[in-house]
Amino acid sequence: MAEPIVTLQSIEKRYGARTAIHDVSFQLYPGETVALVGMSGGGKSTIMRLIAGLEKPTSGRLAYRDPHIVTRVMFQNDRLLPWLSVQDNVGFGLRDPAVTELLAAVGLAEAADLYPAQLSGGQRQRLALARALLAQPQLLLLDEPLGALDALTRRNMQDLIMRICAERHLSSLLITHDVQEAARMADWIIVVKDGTNVYQTAGAKGQGPTVVASVGEDVLQVILQPAVTP
Amino acid sequence: MDNVTTITTSAKKQRRWQLPVNKLLPWLLPVAFLAIWQLSVSTGLITSTLVPSPWAIVQDGVDLWQSGTLQKNISISLYRATVGFAIGGSAGFLLGLANGLSQRSRALLDTPLQMLRNIPHLSLIPVVIILLGIGETAKISLVAIGVLFPIYINTYHGIANSDPELLEMGRSYGLSRWQLFTKVIFPGALPTILMGVRYALGVMWTTLIVAETISSTSGIGYMATNAQEFMNMKTVLLCIALYALLGKLSDLIAKGLESTFLTWREKGVTHNG
Ligand SMILES: Nc1ncnc2c1ncn2[C@@H]1O[C@H](COP(=O)(O)OP(=O)(O)OP(=O)(O)O)[C@@H](O)[C@H]1O
Ligand SMILES: [Mg+2]
Repeated sequence: MAEPIVTLQSIEKRYGARTAIHDVSFQLYPGETVALVGMSGGGKSTIMRLIAGLEKPTSGRLAYRDPHIVTRVMFQNDRLLPWLSVQDNVGFGLRDPAVTELLAAVGLAEAADLYPAQLSGGQRQRLALARALLAQPQLLLLDEPLGALDALTRRNMQDLIMRICAERHLSSLLITHDVQEAARMADWIIVVKDGTNVYQTAGAKGQGPTVVASVGEDVLQVILQPAVTP
Repeated sequence: MDNVTTITTSAKKQRRWQLPVNKLLPWLLPVAFLAIWQLSVSTGLITSTLVPSPWAIVQDGVDLWQSGTLQKNISISLYRATVGFAIGGSAGFLLGLANGLSQRSRALLDTPLQMLRNIPHLSLIPVVIILLGIGETAKISLVAIGVLFPIYINTYHGIANSDPELLEMGRSYGLSRWQLFTKVIFPGALPTILMGVRYALGVMWTTLIVAETISSTSGIGYMATNAQEFMNMKTVLLCIALYALLGKLSDLIAKGLESTFLTWREKGVTHNG
């Protein structure tokens, strides 16, 4: 079994007196896509922000296999720079064959000289994806990037992300409210509730399904749902 | 294909027959005003020594141009305006940058600047005259002081109100501090800064008018006061018209700056994001 690229052990994050997450422990393995699901305010984004290094845990151990790991976050609101053209958004003004290649890979080759305001919601997320890929990250962190898209566009984006992750042997962590999306895209699913990971499904890398904490009715519903959808 | 062409040409032809009402309408009142003014003077309804006709004013302008006084005064005014604007504008811009970017600089400078801002800069005229006399330095300093604050305030706010989400994105995407400034902070602040520039251009002219009217031996403002002493209404009105033209010119410059640097804003929001 390969070594996990990220290990979280008893992670806690407090904002002042408020505990955002506590007792969070899990591992991400190379090439895996893992979904974080759970109710709003449960602590999913906080977990991701810690892994991305945007914030430091209050306590616990957060270890990377490669200390120089490159991670990239794809944010829910695309956070494109409105004053840069599509191609300049990818590399912050850098003109490089890699930029052109990425734009082609996400289907935006024709739109290279447009500005973000001229793109549709789906195109904007494609651009955000291209930008996230430029530094060739080992780990892609997706914080509900597809939340605002219509069903068809969303499905196309799911396919695109899965294809790109597979082609590039990218590991990814996907936050989503949509359990079907989680089931479709992820190798395994972590359920987050009240600031901790309460349950995880059987992982492809041999981890068994684990009940980390007592699971309530609401959470069980979330977990059982993907079983009935393909 | 044929159909399409016919439709477009006929649409064009149709339009050619209609008066471009919306384009002409804004000019209707000004033109009517000038016409009535000219007529009232020509018919003797208004005494021409008191209020000269628009045409007489134009002729006065031509006379002054031929004698060389007009060019001389316009260029000295333009010189004072641009030098004052350049000095005050760069000072305001640099202070705004410093305070927008550095907490320490803000703590040191923002409160004193806000206090100074509350002094109407025109009230400094006597002080400036006592200290610097009525030479060029005095007028240029007044313009510079007047221009400094709007540029400072807008630069500072534009920079300090950078979108925190974009900043976080830039940092996590490995941008250097310089890149963060040139790609995220500055372009985001530019619309606000240019609003300050536009406002400052207005302040620049008002300050100069007042300064030249009160203490000067050259410039458009001096021309006006001088003419007033000789009860020469023609030249007084000519100076006012000149100021209006110069004001319009700086407005065009401000617009030009906006359309050069903010092209991305004009790209229509064709889809919702
Ligand atoms: N910067 C912060 N300061 C204070 N509290 C915070 C901060 N960030 C998050 N929290 C708190 O931490 C908890 C978890 O928030 P988080 O954003 O991680 O939830 P989430 O699962 O991503 O929710 P959602 O699905 O709505 O995005 C919430 O109670 C939130 O109020
Ligand atoms: Mg969240």
